Amino acid sequence: MKAKVGVYVCECGPNIAGKTDLDEIITYLSEFRGFGDVELVVRKYGFLCSNQGKEYLEKEIRDLGLTHLVVGACSPRDHDSTFKDVCGKTQLNPYLYKIINIREHCTWVIDDMDKATEKAKSYLRAGIARVLYQSELFESPIDVNPDVLVIGGGVAGMEAALALAGENRSVTIVEKNDTLGGRAGKLRGFSFQEFNKPEQVEKLIETILGNPCINVFLDSEVTSVIGFLGNFEIEHVSLESKVITELFCGSIITATGADLYETTEESGFKYSESDDVYNSMEITEMLSSGDEITLRSGKEPETIAIVHCVGREELGYCSGVCCTVMMKTANMIKARYPDIRITQFYRDICLPPSGGQELYAAARSSGVNFVKVQSTGLSGTTVKFKEKNGDEGEQFFDMVLLASALVPSKDTPALSELLGIPVDETGFFQEAHRMTNPSATTTDGVFIVGTSQGPRNISDSMLFARASAGQILTKLLVGEKLVPEVAVTEILEAYCTGCGNCLDVCVYGAIYPDEARGISIVNEAICRGCGNCYGSCPSGALRTKHFTNIQLFREVDEALR
Amino acid sequence: MPKNGSVLIIGAGIVGMKAGLMLAGASKKVHLVEKLPIIGGKVIKNEESFPNMECSTCMVAPVQQEVLQNPNIETYTYSDVESLSGSKGCYEVVIRRKARYISLVNCIGCGMCYDPCPVSIPNMWEENLMDMKAVYVPTAGSLPNVPVIDSSKCLHLNGTQECNLCVESCVFDAIDLNDSDEVVTVEVEAVLIASGSGLFDLSALPNLGYGDLSAVYSPLEFERLFASNGPTQGELTLRGSDISPERIAIIHCAGRSEVGYCSTVCCMYSFKFVRFLLHKLPEARIYDLYLDICVPGKSYQNFFTTLGEGSTTMLFTPSLEDVCVTESDSALRISYPDTSGESRELDVDMVILTAAIVPDSDLPELARIAGVELDKFGFIKRTDEGSGSTETTKAGIFAAGTVTGPGDIQRSVIQGESAAGQIMELMSTIDGEKV
Repeated sequence: MKAKVGVYVCECGPNIAGKTDLDEIITYLSEFRGFGDVELVVRKYGFLCSNQGKEYLEKEIRDLGLTHLVVGACSPRDHDSTFKDVCGKTQLNPYLYKIINIREHCTWVIDDMDKATEKAKSYLRAGIARVLYQSELFESPIDVNPDVLVIGGGVAGMEAALALAGENRSVTIVEKNDTLGGRAGKLRGFSFQEFNKPEQVEKLIETILGNPCINVFLDSEVTSVIGFLGNFEIEHVSLESKVITELFCGSIITATGADLYETTEESGFKYSESDDVYNSMEITEMLSSGDEITLRSGKEPETIAIVHCVGREELGYCSGVCCTVMMKTANMIKARYPDIRITQFYRDICLPPSGGQELYAAARSSGVNFVKVQSTGLSGTTVKFKEKNGDEGEQFFDMVLLASALVPSKDTPALSELLGIPVDETGFFQEAHRMTNPSATTTDGVFIVGTSQGPRNISDSMLFARASAGQILTKLLVGEKLVPEVAVTEILEAYCTGCGNCLDVCVYGAIYPDEARGISIVNEAICRGCGNCYGSCPSGALRTKHFTNIQLFREVDEALR
Repeated sequence: MPKNGSVLIIGAGIVGMKAGLMLAGASKKVHLVEKLPIIGGKVIKNEESFPNMECSTCMVAPVQQEVLQNPNIETYTYSDVESLSGSKGCYEVVIRRKARYISLVNCIGCGMCYDPCPVSIPNMWEENLMDMKAVYVPTAGSLPNVPVIDSSKCLHLNGTQECNLCVESCVFDAIDLNDSDEVVTVEVEAVLIASGSGLFDLSALPNLGYGDLSAVYSPLEFERLFASNGPTQGELTLRGSDISPERIAIIHCAGRSEVGYCSTVCCMYSFKFVRFLLHKLPEARIYDLYLDICVPGKSYQNFFTTLGEGSTTMLFTPSLEDVCVTESDSALRISYPDTSGESRELDVDMVILTAAIVPDSDLPELARIAGVELDKFGFIKRTDEGSGSTETTKAGIFAAGTVTGPGDIQRSVIQGESAAGQIMELMSTIDGEKV
């Protein structure tokens, strides 16, 4: 069929019409013979984006039987989708249309009318050249599975499960330990906020276990993950019986928590197991159990040192929760044992939650001593410190509490590999976008919540969990299909040498090797058409639909003619 | 009232926009109400956002664009919620769309009407650091890119004279000086309040000189001064002159003890300011007068440490209440107690105060209209905050972002996503049963 390209130039009031010679452009393009026997229909219109304009365009496409469409108008940011929608109402495939920005790129930036006219001509020529090489592309919606896998049964994982589970959506929790509750479960309500009642975690566990839409696998680990948003295939294994269970789901929430920084001799914290030195987890467990605070000798301590920022410098980040925990710890000890003398060695007081400042003020007014230091070290239960003003000192205490940093859980690297989601410079899972999309990852459908994403307190971990639930509830709707990206990359088998360059650069994990055939394969349901692989291929085997070499070269050729 | 699948979102900042897009994507009808003539919120006031120093407008513009083009989102700019009645699952909302005098449909944002307007007024969006016309968009790059006319300042509208210059300049017939407020009533199943926060009134700290001494700046003033689309096109010059400061001091925690909490983002934006200053004024000497450095989370401390030795002089003072800024012969003199409590003096050309984040001045009224309780600091209270819930004291009304207390962009977005999830949960239940 002979191509018949419609070229419609929008006047945009005086914005385009007043600053270019539109009649000259129309005459020039109508008489242009550079495209062989392609028939060109070149017309102008007042406001193509107006309702009348859209109707006019729709009628033209139909009545003239256009095979391709070029619209010379504004930025694609403004109206690309407008004209794509117009095509969608006609016989013309939207991928056979192109918008050319002759407003922002020509008339708004060039004062000289002749120059603006010339530039607009070359842009429009380039658009026609490109559109002739574009191909029809079709969206193909796919069925999705609304079910969810939650890895980790701590408070974050449980909260997410509870928010998601319903009659039409089942949730499976896979937990490696033999109980639900995670770290918060051990603290039995020792959270910095008073709203967390001691029995809250137990209640949450009960609710989870009683929910018919939530399946819990304890003592289990996920061993295999394949698939993509909407269609994942999972295998998890019971650590005890070694029984492998298969699971199908549409999304995955990683709620695997964090560990505490382990002190080493190199970091200046030398003590042996028999010393009365405890980390924040140990002391909070002791406090929340209601047990007496005693030294290993059985005696009650007279002096306690709280050493802040343990690991902060080595790790390069502030965990943001330790100060508040230690203020609460000091206050609880003071309330029960007013005679114990407590000294806090701190670098900075960092109290992100709004209640933290009050806990700090309470600690100060209850007689807790605060020493601002530049550095600290430990030898047994003797604290060595350098004060802010440079003075150095050493002081013996009966008991020492370490505010140790939170570090990525040791399962993180293996999970990162398994799920195909990267970790960042701190070793925690990396977000899709740190600020604007923090619970998602670069793999669509895989979410990171709680302390697996970064150090934070219990209520913020649960907040994160609910955020991932929000993403899933709004993305994977029961009974609705998903439309994957259409302009994806494909690999031409004949050219592919299976070198694997493309696998390394694909941030979405959309390419996998087909070892039997010695080539790489793109999973089109995952590919977003970013083009990273396209540039990495040494043999020219890759082709990104809608951005092919010939399309780009013809466009550039014509623009520079 | 039948279930109509509609949601009201108050505030079109990053939180309201993101939550709106999520809900719209799930085929909910979203009524997004914004009191300013533009959407985008506070983030777009910042040239760059920490910790990645990303261009803020570039980060937010695609979201703004998507909101404006989404057929499931009805955006009401320059509008207020006048009343909100009903209960969980069915609220009736009255929205007042203030007269804009310029058609959102016809106007293409060409800006031809600004020049002819004879009235100049201070631009509040630009922290009053520049003037604008009575027909204006708050800032370059506004979305929607459609101006509004300040009816109290416009000569025609306030009855001073028969001025029609803007109308005559418009070739799109977009200006209608007979425009009037429009009152719209909508019914929704759930409400999300994401109307943001304000800054501590620095003039309440007379020892720091804000308001009296022109070279003392609020953080937002400095943000706009630095912004390439701001009043000076990003030239860092002192107020009312074309002289760049050579010595700049940033005083931390302004208002912290007055409000009774740490705002947690100020240290970070202070170090962002240091980067800004080093970038534009490499010869400048910078001082940070601080009590504590609060850089919580995995990526913040690194932002501080990578500033490098000598980039800023960190001056610890044990007592910020005793810091005083006065005028000296040539510039500003800061007196402060040092580590040992001894009084010191520092002469600088510019002082930036990092003000605490406080509830927006409009919040008490909005809370009254919505019938939600505020916490002791004046932010919106959530009933089950301990387990991360965003629901307010009124069932079916949720709150996210800095309207609930200070927080960074990440935490605000997370709250918005959580709220979207809770709203989906609410809307999928009938009489409390999940369907």
